[in-house]
Amino acid sequence: MKTALRFLWVFLPAVLLGAAAAEAHPHVWITSTSELIYAPDGTLTGVRHAWTFDEMFAAYALQGLETKTKGTYTREELAPLAQTNVESLKEYAYFTFAKADGRKEKFNEPVDYFLDYRDNQLTLHFTLPLKAPFKAKALVLEVFDPTFFIDFKLAEKDPVRMVAAPEGCQMKIQRPSDGSASAQQLNEQTFMDGGANSNFGMMFANKIIVDCP
Amino acid sequence: MKRFSLLARRLAACVVAATVLVALDGAAQSVMAQNPFGGPRPAPGSEIGGLVGWILSKQSEFYREISAALRTAKSDGSAVWSLLAVSFAYGIFHAAGPGHGKAVISSYLVANQETARRGIALSFASALMQSLVAIAVVAVIAWLLNATAKTMCGAEKAIEIGSYALIAAFGASLVWTKGGCFMRALQATRPEPVLAVAADHGHGHAHDHDHGDGHVHDDHCGHSHGPAPDELAGPGGWRRGLAAVLSVGIRPCSGAILVLVFALAQGLFWAGIAATLVMGLGTAITVAVIAIVAVSARDLAQRFSEAREGSGVLIMRGIEFGAAGLVLLFGSGLLLGYITAERVTCL
Repeated sequence: MKTALRFLWVFLPAVLLGAAAAEAHPHVWITSTSELIYAPDGTLTGVRHAWTFDEMFAAYALQGLETKTKGTYTREELAPLAQTNVESLKEYAYFTFAKADGRKEKFNEPVDYFLDYRDNQLTLHFTLPLKAPFKAKALVLEVFDPTFFIDFKLAEKDPVRMVAAPEGCQMKIQRPSDGSASAQQLNEQTFMDGGANSNFGMMFANKIIVDCP
Repeated sequence: MKRFSLLARRLAACVVAATVLVALDGAAQSVMAQNPFGGPRPAPGSEIGGLVGWILSKQSEFYREISAALRTAKSDGSAVWSLLAVSFAYGIFHAAGPGHGKAVISSYLVANQETARRGIALSFASALMQSLVAIAVVAVIAWLLNATAKTMCGAEKAIEIGSYALIAAFGASLVWTKGGCFMRALQATRPEPVLAVAADHGHGHAHDHDHGDGHVHDDHCGHSHGPAPDELAGPGGWRRGLAAVLSVGIRPCSGAILVLVFALAQGLFWAGIAATLVMGLGTAITVAVIAIVAVSARDLAQRFSEAREGSGVLIMRGIEFGAAGLVLLFGSGLLLGYITAERVTCL
């Protein structure tokens, strides 16, 4: 009886805490294409993203915007919204996480940003310059929302392009839906972190890996 | 012994039920302190496969079908029916996520010795209120004022903070009453000479009367035998739950707001309103199920504790106190940003 009671003690809070735990469920879908921009000397200087929002979020974002012609939005008309977008993205580190040879790299605030609206699709374009451009043998770039409010999906076709990359660099892409990703990820993370803090949970990340000689 | 094994079996069943529940919510990504440029950090969901993955994928599926159905409804009126069906399904799945007051309502039910029936009523009332607030926000800001997303997002943020403050305040008031009950139960069960217990009688709450077997009765602490039916029907019976409904229901869900704005943009605001209400119905069902589980677990604990002389009351008061503390913890955690609920739609 005593053990049974102890069970309940552990248990009731567990139920309630479980009920409180905020788990993931996306409300915004983004289809992403990216460019890795290299300098002539082979250093990576930044990442250029083009993020297309799902139509429901697009309607929300465009709500109340004044336009000359109904239903069309010029780049100028969308400029204030683009400004708001990149400003809010800062809080989330632009959902872009880079590692050079296992070392975390940071980005400066976005430049060259704008929104365009074509074929009922709203796309945010922006360039993230690296704080310190680097040459790396192994670059790992991840695009994901840790809270999974936004579901990032790499575009079906040519999701990532390397612009002026050094000779011999090889790119690999892992999508979260890819069944092999989890096993692979575990191996690599375990290897990189020496077994500690393995990020096995990072299933929603889109992973771009570039290996250079 | 036979009785014990029966109880043990029930307990096991309860364990299974709760495990499922925890697994449902279990992705348990209370993303703690944010590290701004932190690279890869523990991401949501320890398992994308299995039950959690299934719920997530179903949710996304339904949600996207809502937008498709709304677009179709523009030209084909009959698509409204499938819109309603999908919205209902989405509500059921979606409520498994954060921000629908499961935690607050369940904790409140446990803390306040409420019945399952009241739990169901509270779940439906708060879900209805959530839907109505979402409709009101979009109707006023987007439809009447034609304000931009920035304004709407500002309003959502303000409502969010207000809602967390309400939850915290509600939790604090529960802790205040339940803490008193717990302390009195603690005093009542303290092994002291009979005379001392008798003397104690005069100090406590005016309604306290110790039966000598440790069962404490008073207005706020309820009865350890379970509430009498007339007590629930009595005046103020519904007012008691009002604070729970208000603190939970005031915060609209981002999904509903997105659907409403999208519907408005399609010129089908009325269909968006209908979808939101049906979604709320689905949400209420899920929250009610969780509330029933919480109440059943509590009742089970009560049955156990009644079998124990003396300390049984203390255990029940302790559980109630703990549940009250959880509400306070949720509210302050949400307010201070230690617990992330569903994010508002600001980008």
